[in-house]
This record gives sequence, structure tokens and C-alpha cells, in this order.
Amino acid sequence: MDDLLAEFVAETREMLEAIEGELVAWEAEPSDRARLDNIFRFVHTVKGNCGFFDFPRLEKLSHAAEGVLAEVRAGRRHADSRLVSAVLAIIDRITQMTTAIEAGEELPVGSDEFLIAALEGDASDVGETLAMHSAREDAETKTTDAGPQAPRSIRLPVALLDRVMSGVSDMVLARNDLARRLRDAGNEPTLDGPFERLSGILSDVREAITKMRMQRIEHLYNAIPRLVRDLSTELDKQVMVDFEGGDVELDREMIEMIRDPVTHLIRNAIDHGIEKPSERLRAGKREIGMLAIAARQSGNRITIVISDDGAGLNTDKIGEKAVSSGLVSQKELDAMPPESVTDLIFEAGLSTAEEVSAISGRGVGMDVVRANIEKIGGTITVSSNPGEGTMFFLQIPLTLSIISALTVSVDGQRFAIPQSYVEEIAHGASASVEFSRVGDTDLVTFRDRRLPCLTLNNVLGVKPRGAGWDQRLVLLRLGSGDLFALAVDKIHDQEDLVIKPLAPAVMQSGLYAGTTLLDDGSPVLMLDIPTVASENGLVSDVRARPAQVTVSEKAVVEERGRTLMTFVGLDGKRRAIGMQLVARIDQVPHDAFAIDDGRAQVVVDGKIMTLVGVGNDTEQVEIPAGNVKLLRLSDSECELAYAVAELGESVIITQDLASPEGDTRLEGVALIDGELIPVVDGYRLFAKHGSIATPVEKLVCRLPEGDDWVDRMLQPLVAAAGYRVASDPDQTADVTIVLTDTADAVDTVDTVANGRVIKLYSDPNAPIGKDDSIYRYDRTALESALRKARIGDRS
Amino acid sequence: MRELILMFDIAGRRVAIPAVEVQSVIELEDIYPVPRAPDYVTGLTAMRSQSLTVIDCRKALGQESKTEYGERSPVIELDGHLYALLVDSVDDVVETQSEITPVAGGFGKEWENAAQGMVETDRGPTLLIDIHKLIGGQAAIAA
Repeated sequence: MDDLLAEFVAETREMLEAIEGELVAWEAEPSDRARLDNIFRFVHTVKGNCGFFDFPRLEKLSHAAEGVLAEVRAGRRHADSRLVSAVLAIIDRITQMTTAIEAGEELPVGSDEFLIAALEGDASDVGETLAMHSAREDAETKTTDAGPQAPRSIRLPVALLDRVMSGVSDMVLARNDLARRLRDAGNEPTLDGPFERLSGILSDVREAITKMRMQRIEHLYNAIPRLVRDLSTELDKQVMVDFEGGDVELDREMIEMIRDPVTHLIRNAIDHGIEKPSERLRAGKREIGMLAIAARQSGNRITIVISDDGAGLNTDKIGEKAVSSGLVSQKELDAMPPESVTDLIFEAGLSTAEEVSAISGRGVGMDVVRANIEKIGGTITVSSNPGEGTMFFLQIPLTLSIISALTVSVDGQRFAIPQSYVEEIAHGASASVEFSRVGDTDLVTFRDRRLPCLTLNNVLGVKPRGAGWDQRLVLLRLGSGDLFALAVDKIHDQEDLVIKPLAPAVMQSGLYAGTTLLDDGSPVLMLDIPTVASENGLVSDVRARPAQVTVSEKAVVEERGRTLMTFVGLDGKRRAIGMQLVARIDQVPHDAFAIDDGRAQVVVDGKIMTLVGVGNDTEQVEIPAGNVKLLRLSDSECELAYAVAELGESVIITQDLASPEGDTRLEGVALIDGELIPVVDGYRLFAKHGSIATPVEKLVCRLPEGDDWVDRMLQPLVAAAGYRVASDPDQTADVTIVLTDTADAVDTVDTVANGRVIKLYSDPNAPIGKDDSIYRYDRTALESALRKARIGDRS
Repeated sequence: MRELILMFDIAGRRVAIPAVEVQSVIELEDIYPVPRAPDYVTGLTAMRSQSLTVIDCRKALGQESKTEYGERSPVIELDGHLYALLVDSVDDVVETQSEITPVAGGFGKEWENAAQGMVETDRGPTLLIDIHKLIGGQAAIAA
């Protein structure tokens, strides 16, 4: 059922339940004004809602009831018992219809006319009263038998959800604390079991709660068509809007946070982007402008793309405006590549609208849009082609309260950096890193990019020092696109942290965005990266941009390498894999793994995934106790989980890989920081383990009917081989399996309707060798026959 | 009106806060410093898997800090945040024997910022501290 409809049903039900008592009381005391008001409000709300959903019958009924009740309220009619029963009959009918809607059934048949007619002052027909009763009885039977067909939903205040959420977050922290104490206390087998169980339940609950707060992005989309319609009418434009990814879910809070920015972008697109029909025709486009909004989830982030096929951003005009408003000088502007000029629209005080119209230019500029997106840890970028259109890319995190962060330390104290800013990490001693000092400022040259470099020591005022080779570098990219390096003593781990607000006294230092407790119970502060950058003069200083651009242009030319992700496998050896395959990094508990008989699987997010990196048939690798890190690899169609012991850095290699010397599992050997690191062959990995992409149209396999062995043993095997089991004897099958014990008519099987025939013998000594005659427990042969059948069909 | 108050010493003076405002009294273990925070914030510490902000009460009053503090520390909640107070020593919970009264001439410049008034107890007159002023007041001054 549609989300909105479910909400309508839930709301109606809720109100029905609430007025049930009122109805009875009103029946006893028709002159009771308060009850009357409540009932009036109910029919009024129902009427309003059904207009929205196109339930003409419901609307008519509630409208009639509303009219009569309004008259009573106005004192023009007296609420006698007959009128009361007429209203009650209507409410019963509404209940009945709501139940039908909820169950997804047809609305109950029968005319509502007599119910409405019964409301009239002079109606007193006995037949009508009878009809009313019958309607009521119908309603009663209906409600009892229309039980749990459709999932029921209730409405909850968000504040309550937030409370539960924060309670669960606290429980996670308490659990971590307990885990630490248990570790300290040594091995306690009697406690470990229940504790593991508690942990498991807790993570389930946490996930469920997170889901509770999730809402489909449709809720954001729903208001847009109307907005587009109103705006385009007002501006004499024709705009068609297209949505994609409405089923992407994100935190309710987040939806509210992006509502304004998205609305603003849409207003802009219609007001400034899409041209008037006549102009569009002149430009050789369709009269109707297209506005597309697409949402996509990638890992822990959501990407929303808002694109239009309008005139695009006018870089000349933006540049002109930027110069006239003093944002940049003409000289700086001339040095800017077009992309940087379009980026200027995010600067404060730049509005290209020639005149302030009613639609845009209400003092909310793109700078505010960007600020709002960044406030929730997101980013926004724009790309535009003159005459072809504009695209805005928004990247936002899934939730607000749990943030994926990198923990680093300086002078033994740990700090967290939100993962969303982290572009890369590098070792200070790495050959690709070179430090230099200009005055008191540290610079770092990293793969031919010269970046400003802060040391966390200086930022925090803890043992101030210059950046050096003994440190690690975290490359951070700000929302504005500026890149800088932060040198720290150590880089620890990437963790999902539950971030809590800080006391105002600590907050005012401006360096921290929140606090959380790590697994070992120590508090850790999360750095407020944008503030740190701006305090050190690194933020989006437009004036500084041209200089930076020249450097990055150079970098683009030379950066033709591949990015590899290095890691340490469970066998303790360092390896690397192409970064493009790594979709995300997960942690799963020990008990999520299932390895036996060469089949290795792991449960991640309730999905079973094929597991690799745990050795092969000959040499199994022990899964360590506790949480295990997984690289989730994706070839964009199927996913694999690669269990690793430790994550390394991402590195860009520019040289070709050395040959792997006969090891077919490897793509080659890379030279990283003077060490030879084998690179796992992702292509082979997917070829071998990536579950055979199920054909779009599943092949049908007919099985003998009414045989227990078939139901129990054969059917799952056939289904696992990617077949659908024929349910209807008349259905055309691609493969038919027959048991020779039961199939007297094997030879008469019609190969047109039944496709290829596989015969199964129950006697292992039966004459084997003929094609497709297989001993019933010879699984390999059966599977290969099924596979052959499919390949034969496809070729 | 009789009220329970927690008595403790700051800078050698006997002071008290209403016991209802005290969540618990803990023994401070590790304190994690917060670089570049105001100097009266000693750092963060953890209690029952929550983080607490540790406030040096002497500094919060604008006095010289002491090198050694007592091990026990009252924990209070203010606007949803938990604070642990670094004090000289924690005494006991006692019952007040009077209303809160002002003292002619005030309590002295530094104390005045945080004082709520004086109460009588069976251990003599005691200065009742206003926790909002003690923590919030300094924040406002510093900001």
C-alpha cells in the first residue's frame, strides 16, 4: 500500500477509535456540544483527506454528514435520535470502507444514497432504517474478519522516537563500557554467552530503531509536483517533473533538513533554468522543460541529483556579477576555469537574477543552501552546460546521530574526524609525501599537489610542532572543495560513533562538534573540521582560488594512476585491491560467518553475501573472535564480502603492476612505499564467486508432483540453480525432471511443452552415462545438467 | 522550609548545593583534557558510559587552581549536560534549618558571582551555590 494511503488509513482509524466513545455518548445526549464538535471534526477531516485520494464515495458520505452536523452546530437543526442514527450509520459505512481500503480490497458494494437521504429532515422510511442497520452489521462483521491482512501502522510523535533512539544509543555506550569491564575482569565463560546475546539483540534493536526513523524520500517528492505546477503556471512555462529513487530511505530529520534547500533548487531551476516555451522552441528543444530529481543510496550516503534541461548557468553573467560585487577581481576571474566560475554561485552576495522576482531572490541565496547542506554534513556541487542544462549534486549522510568517523591521536589523546571530510590518508614517511615550510606555514606536496598542511598539535595547542615524516596525514576536503592536510601522530580506526552534544563551555572553543565514548570507555572529541579550517584561513577564500586551481589542473594531468586500497588479510599478509570495487566497509560479529565445506557466507544487514578472503578448500583461515572487518566489494551487479584483519591506506599507483608470477588469484604486484604488495584480481574474484546473475526471466522447471523427496530435496536444489518451479501442469517448462520410478511415460514426454528432460534414477547402479540420466543423489551431475540446460537455452 | 543540601569545600570555604541537583558523587578516574577549552574546564571524563565535563570550581570562581583535589566529585546536570565538579573535598548531605537569606555586604567579589544566599545548618551558616551561575556564568563571561 502506498505510504500516504497507509497514513490516511492510520489517521482515520485513530480518529475512529477516539470518537467511538463520543458516538455512544452523543447518542445518549444529542445536545452535548463538545461531542458534536468532535464528531464534526472527524467527518470534516475525512472529507478533506479523501478529496486528496480520490475516494468519491467516502467524500460524498463525509460531506453529507458534515453538512448536517454543521446545521446542528449552527442551531438550524435539532439533533434528534433519528438524525443521530443516520450520522452513526454513515460513520459505520466510513469504518467499513476504511477497512476495505486498508486490506486493499474493493470498496463494499451498495449504494450510499439511502444513507445520505436518511440525513434529510423528512426521511422516515422504515426501509431506510433497516438498511442502516444492515450497513452497521456489515461493518461489524467486516472489522472482525479483516484482521491482519495489511500491516497496521500507527502514528507516533517524532520526539518519542528520538527519545527511544537516544536511549538505545546510550545502551550501546553502556554495553561498550560493560564489554571493557568484562575484558578487564578476565575470562568469564558464564558471562560471555549472555553478554554476546545482549550485544546481538542490542544491535538488532538499534538497527530497527534506525529504520523506524527512516522515511522514504517520496515524502519529500510528494510536495514537489504541486510546487512545480504553481511555479510554472505563474511564470508561463511548461515543466514536467520526473522522480527517481523514491524508495530511498533516509532519516526523517534529514528529510526535513533538506526540504528547504531542495525546494530552493527547484524554484531556481524553474525560475532561472528552464526557458519560456517560445525560447525553447527557438533553441531547438521541446516546449516542455524537464526537471529530474533522482535519489540514490551509496554506502552511508545519499546522493540527490536535481537536473534541468534549461539554459544552464551563464558564466559570463556570474563572472560579471562576481567582479561587480567585489568577490573576485577581473584578473582573478580571467584565470578561472569555467567550473570555478559556476562554483561562484555558492558565494554569499551573488544573485544572478536580473530582477528580484517573487519566486527567487527572497534573500535566500545559494550560499544559504550550501550552508544548510554542510550543516548536516553534506556537500553540494554544480555542473552546467550552457544551453543544455544544470545539474546540482547533493550528498548527504543517512542519519544525523550516528556518524562514521576516523579516530586519530595527538600526544596520546584521541580525536574523531567525520569520515565525510576524509579524502585520503597517507603516511608521512611515504615517498609520495614531501614536507616543506614557508615561513611558519607547513606545506605538503602529495602526489604533485601542493596543499596547506595543519598539524593537529598546533590546531589544539598541544605540544606545537611542524609537520614531519613521523606523522600521518589525513587529507580533508571541505564542502567548498578546498583540500588540505592535517598531520596527526597516529591514525587509529574508522568507527561508527554516536555523537552527543557538548557542554556549552567546551563548545565555545569552536573546535569541536560533539563527543562520544569509544569502546574502551574513554571520551573522545569530534573535531569541527570546517571551523578548524576557517580559523586557519583555509576556507573557500575566493581570492585564493585561482592559485589553487592551477595546481589542481596539473594534478589532473598527472594523476592517471589507479587507486588501490591496501589491507591486511586474515592470513596476516598485506594485499591491495582496486578501490573502485570497494563499495563500503562494514564490521560484523564473529557469529555472522558461516563456513563449511568450502562454502563461505556472511550475513550483512540481513543479507547473505558470499565471503572471500578466508582461504580456500586446502587452507582455511580462522575467523578471529569479536568483530571482523569486511570490505564490501561490488561490481555494480553483485556484492562480495572480503574479510580482512586490518584496513590500510588508499594509494594511487602510476606504474603498471608487475606480473603475479603464476598466481592466478592476483592481478599483479604493486610497488607501494617500497614494499611489494600483491593486488587481488577483482575480475577473477567476481567471475568465480559473484553469484551467477540470475537471468531476468527465470527458466521454468517442471518437477514430479506429489513426491516428498522432490519437495524436500530436489525443489530447493532446483531453485538454487536459478529455476522457477512450474506450478501449473499446463505451463510450458524449459526443463522437466522425471523420476524413473514414477515416470512410466518418460518417452512420451512432449519436449515442446516440457523442454529438456532430466531423468533421475533412485538406483545408483542403474545404467548411467546416457545424457541427462542421473543418480538422484549425484548432486554435481544434476547441477551441471541444470546449468547446461540453461546455457543451451541462452545460446 | 527544610531542604537537603550537599556540603563541600571550595577554596577552603564551606559551600553547599541543593541535594536534588546532585546526580551522584563519583570518584574521578581519568580526566581527558580538552585542548583550547576555557581554563576552568579541566577536561572530560566518563561515568556509566556517559561523558561528563569536569569543571574546576576554583577556576570557575576566578581563583587560583589547586594542584591536588579530593577524589570525590559531585555530578550535576545542567541543561541536559552532565558536569563533574572538582572541589577540595565533599562533606555530607545535611538538612537546612532556615530559608535562604542574603548577607548584608554580600559574600565577596568572587563568591558573589555564584552565590544564591546563606542558609543555616546544624554545622553553622553555609553559602548556597547557584550551579547555573557557577557554570553558566563563567561561560557567559568567557564568551
